[in-house]
Amino acid sequence: MDDQGCPRCKTTKYRNPSLKLMVNVCGHTLCESCVEMLFVRGSGNCVQCDTPLRKSNFRVQLFEDPAVDKEVEIRKKVLKIYNKRDSDFPSLREYNDYLEHVEDIVFNLTNNVDVEATKQIMEQYQRENRDIIQKNKVKLTREQEELEELLLLEQQGNEQRRLETLQEEQRQLVAKRKNKQALLDELESSQLPATLLLAQHKDRAAQLETQLERQRQVVKPTIFSTGIPMGQTVLLQPVARVEEVLYRYQPLQIHTHGPAVPELEQLGRLGYLNHVRAASPQDMAGGYTSGLACHRAVQDAFSGLFLPTR
Amino acid sequence: MYHNSSQRKYWTFENEDCLEKLRCQANQKFRDKIISSGKVGVHESLLLDPLEEDVLFKHYEKRLLDFCAVFKPAMPKSVVGTANMYFRRFYLNNSLMEYHPRTIMLTCAYLACKVDEFNVSSSQFVGNLQENPAAQEKALEQILEYELLLIQQLNFHLVVHNPYRPMEGFLIDLKTRYLALENPEMLRKTADDFLNRATMTDVGLLFSPSQIALTAVLNSASRAGLNMESYLTECMGLKDDKETLSKMIDSMRRTKNLVKKYEPPKPEEVIACKQKLERIHAEFALNTNPKRKRGYEDDDHVTKQHRVAEEVGVNSASQAQCAT
Repeated sequence: MDDQGCPRCKTTKYRNPSLKLMVNVCGHTLCESCVEMLFVRGSGNCVQCDTPLRKSNFRVQLFEDPAVDKEVEIRKKVLKIYNKRDSDFPSLREYNDYLEHVEDIVFNLTNNVDVEATKQIMEQYQRENRDIIQKNKVKLTREQEELEELLLLEQQGNEQRRLETLQEEQRQLVAKRKNKQALLDELESSQLPATLLLAQHKDRAAQLETQLERQRQVVKPTIFSTGIPMGQTVLLQPVARVEEVLYRYQPLQIHTHGPAVPELEQLGRLGYLNHVRAASPQDMAGGYTSGLACHRAVQDAFSGLFLPTR
Repeated sequence: MYHNSSQRKYWTFENEDCLEKLRCQANQKFRDKIISSGKVGVHESLLLDPLEEDVLFKHYEKRLLDFCAVFKPAMPKSVVGTANMYFRRFYLNNSLMEYHPRTIMLTCAYLACKVDEFNVSSSQFVGNLQENPAAQEKALEQILEYELLLIQQLNFHLVVHNPYRPMEGFLIDLKTRYLALENPEMLRKTADDFLNRATMTDVGLLFSPSQIALTAVLNSASRAGLNMESYLTECMGLKDDKETLSKMIDSMRRTKNLVKKYEPPKPEEVIACKQKLERIHAEFALNTNPKRKRGYEDDDHVTKQHRVAEEVGVNSASQAQCAT
């Protein structure tokens, strides 16, 4: 992250990792301390490109590449004016054309291409569509408010749940302590034998546990986390049923065109292994057995013996 | 295994006539190529005909076997067999006039070592050639040039099933099941000898290796005066299957005849054909080699400086990128 240094004081960024880089409308970065120093009077010129800037225009850099930050700023401003939604357009094609137009504008402004012409286009658009812009602004603010309300509700729900679990735990602790205390008291005062009292105590403790379990299970969820209430029938198109033929395993059939070869396991019993060089311990360590070589030799001897099968 | 191998599917033919035809075709193809290339002073009689090619082929095959015999470290029999089979298959579809058999023979041996996992480094391999180091280097270069061509002409079918393991299998089986024969070990030597002679014939391209091995075993038994008919009928379960039995006996007879028919080439013929071959290669081979050399150099053996220059270029380019 500290691969970029402040272009002016260079060293300060490396030495002080908590130092932030600020970006301005021209796309060039300066660290906080340099901003303070240069713009002590409130306005000045950029160090690298000499454009007149104001101190208030500096924002903390969010992205590594200052060009991206610059584009983000420009985009915000452009979208304040070009705030139509897809519902405002009669066809998808027109909406896409509109979006492309917006992108062109952002691109031009970011890369300093035809800045004057683009700004004029923007002003013209603003004048023509003033009321639509206003309406959309209102809609946007309303949506944002709704979102915020939902977030708030969620947060409150979380808080409540946390409090409840805390309280539960407290109650459990208290109950357990009471139980222990009761046992001690009984041991002191009662006439019954100690083992009986201990057994009673254990029973009570078990009962408490089951009670707690039941209490926990009572809470049944009625609503999914996305907001859809449970048990609601969702109308979807039924999935098309695809009937396939059930797979049946057929074992592989290989024609060796020769007499049958005895199985590897049978070789010892049939006496083949007596006529093969026995495997030394070094060979067997790797998993080699004399049966393997014998089997291979016999397989090769019998394979293709009855050819041609015409 | 042999029954589902590429050898059975693509490199086993019906009879010797098929093989003859293929070799004549390869010969004819080269002739047409030479005539159509329109070189001045080309005469039909300068080119080898199939019989002369056969003589040379046998000669170089013998040279290959001798080379493998004196190879250090000792080359296992399967590697020799594989190399021989590659040599044979290559010249089934190509003419000796187009690719010199000496290089192809070394390439076959080299490739066979690799395929059969008989680990020999390339310098060790050419160290076995009886020549000075410079000539060895040149030979190595040639081998590496022709290697890919060889693999291609083998149609990438590199696994070869030799009859040596089936023969071992038969000996084991005889010792286990065929107790009428007291000492099958005595058959080993003659059977081995039979197989060595069989590799110098076309049997590998006509019959399955197990059949060749069985022929070898039965042949050596009959030489020793033992009758092993009952082995076939009893142990192989062919008592009732007369048709398969007769077919097998027929194949074995054909194999035996082929092996018996083999004659080593006469020295004076070899010398005459060799002269012709050298002349042909000197005249016509010039157009093929340089092209291939250039193509190969583009791959690996490129001048080392180029690669270094490339790396430096790449480094500076990447540095420039980082700086922006």
